[in-house]
Amino acid sequence: MAKTKPKKPGAKTGLLLRLYVAGNAPNSLRAVANATAICEEYLTARYELEVIDLLKHPNRALADGIIVTPTLLRLRPLPVQRVIGNLSDTNQVLLTLAGQ
Amino acid sequence: MNAAPAPHRRGLAQRLSEAQATIEALLSGQIDAVVDSKSATPVLLSRAQDALRQSEEQHRQIVEATTDGIMKVDALEKIVFVNGRLAEMLGYEAQQMIGMDVSTFMSASARASMVNTFARRPVGQDTLDTVLRHKGGTAISVNIAASPLVDGEGQRIGTLGMVRDVTERNKLQSQLMVSDRMASVGTLAAGVAHEINNPLAAVLGNLDYVAEILGGPARGASTSANPGRSDAWLIEEIRGPIGDALEAAARVRLIVRDLKIFSRSPSDEPKSRVNIQAVMESSLRMAWNEIRHRARLVKLYGVVPNVEANEGRLGQVFLNLIVNAAQALPEGHAEQNEIRVSTHVCDGRVVVEVSDTGAGISPEIIGRIFDAFFTTKGVGVGTGLGLAICHRIITDLDGALTVESTVGKGSTFRVVLPIPRPEAIEEAAPAVEPVPSPGRRGRILVVDDEELVLRSVKRLLSKEHDIVAIAKAKAALALCAGGESFDLILCDLMMPDMTGMDLHSELSRVAPEQASRMVFLTGGAFTVKASSFLADQAQEHLDKPFSPTTLRAVVRRHVQ
Repeated sequence: MAKTKPKKPGAKTGLLLRLYVAGNAPNSLRAVANATAICEEYLTARYELEVIDLLKHPNRALADGIIVTPTLLRLRPLPVQRVIGNLSDTNQVLLTLAGQ
Repeated sequence: MNAAPAPHRRGLAQRLSEAQATIEALLSGQIDAVVDSKSATPVLLSRAQDALRQSEEQHRQIVEATTDGIMKVDALEKIVFVNGRLAEMLGYEAQQMIGMDVSTFMSASARASMVNTFARRPVGQDTLDTVLRHKGGTAISVNIAASPLVDGEGQRIGTLGMVRDVTERNKLQSQLMVSDRMASVGTLAAGVAHEINNPLAAVLGNLDYVAEILGGPARGASTSANPGRSDAWLIEEIRGPIGDALEAAARVRLIVRDLKIFSRSPSDEPKSRVNIQAVMESSLRMAWNEIRHRARLVKLYGVVPNVEANEGRLGQVFLNLIVNAAQALPEGHAEQNEIRVSTHVCDGRVVVEVSDTGAGISPEIIGRIFDAFFTTKGVGVGTGLGLAICHRIITDLDGALTVESTVGKGSTFRVVLPIPRPEAIEEAAPAVEPVPSPGRRGRILVVDDEELVLRSVKRLLSKEHDIVAIAKAKAALALCAGGESFDLILCDLMMPDMTGMDLHSELSRVAPEQASRMVFLTGGAFTVKASSFLADQAQEHLDKPFSPTTLRAVVRRHVQ
């Protein structure tokens, strides 16, 4: 089952993020930690972060066009943005999440 | 939740930049898994990497645990990889060897033969026996199983070599060959000794008989048993040659006895009290041919007690030391060189020294001369085993074998042996044979397939006793079974048809009293059965060739 971490649940207008990881692999664990920290620290607006384990839901990854993990998707607002890697470059993550 | 836009709906630029980002993330090691869109099965990179690491570790362990050396060289014959075993074999650290040229430890000829091997068989594995050079300079015999390494286009890019140290194997092989050779020489010697002893018994017996008739010991004797004989001139004329012949025959007897000693294996001949001087003399006789052209022989025998040793083995040690001493000297300058053997007691131990005035042993090699297979002699001349065996024999006797040498002056080998405890000291020297007393006239049966021996024994004893001489044991058996009785039966041990042992067992059945009167005549080459027969029954026996005095002493004991 997908892990959902709604910071401010019910928000339809806020940021929708989905992080694909591969079990407890090192980069995946790091990506989850980084994503959570960035969201908590920098995202003042309402947001929703869903963490999906590729090993348990490969078909969802396929549907989302995921090629590698970790991959962070910004699903809302459109257009969809992706950050590839363990999210250790905070600036890069923030830039992508803010991208138009 | 909103459906994510399908990948194809993303713009090209975005996809390109995502691809770029993916590659960068992959390269920087931030990726855990790749999605295989065909099977929908994610490929876990970390797991793959772990598996790779584990597999590598496993291979590394195998490569390092193997007792063979492994090396990988490139096309320029530079080392690309060696395992710890190879580095250890050659005296280096593995890391030190990376980039090293193989010529550092492999001779040009060995490299050439490896190249030839590959030329003959460009693919697959081939082996060659060669020699590698240790960092310290010593040679290591190895067997190399080499495989060419080729790239995708079949070009040779290097060689993989599995290197096995066969020094030990070679040593064992040569040791086996040497002991094989020793064993066959021993068997041959025993056979020859046996063949010689029979006629020799006749030669000695007859010569002694003639010498006795002529009057006492032929040479230097002035008394005559028959002073009244008129043909004194003839007697004097014959006495010289007979004496010489007797002396020569006695020498043959000693040589044959030496042969028998050297052919015995240690288990055949347990330790006993050994007269050092007698053993040394025996060894000197055997080596005389080596000595006489090269040196004067000086003997300095001090009074030393007998030692507890195996006579044959001790003789082997002395012979080895004497021959080595002789071989240290050039041939043909006997007057200028000296071989000195000496015995004395020092600090409660018996010391035997063999010295030469030869070239001496250089300090570099003196520490290795007792090592097995160390030899300064050419291939085929020395096995390099002589001194090693000597060392072991002496050490086994709780003794010590040491060497002192000065280059240009000569060498001294010193054998130090313990003196046995007093309670075990040898009985007094054998008493001089008592003067034969006539005693009563006995009846003696002599059984020997060798007519010469029969006649000689008969000749020696017939003056004092009645002798019945028979060449076949069966005839002797028939005689005894028929009621004939003898005071003594002198019987050859080894005879065709019926042996002395067979006769003994038959007589024990039909005439036990006669069986108990048997004394065996033995020629030397015992079968296992024969030696255990003599040992088990504590059977009295007389070694051929025997002196008339010994024979008469035995006869006297039985005919009283």
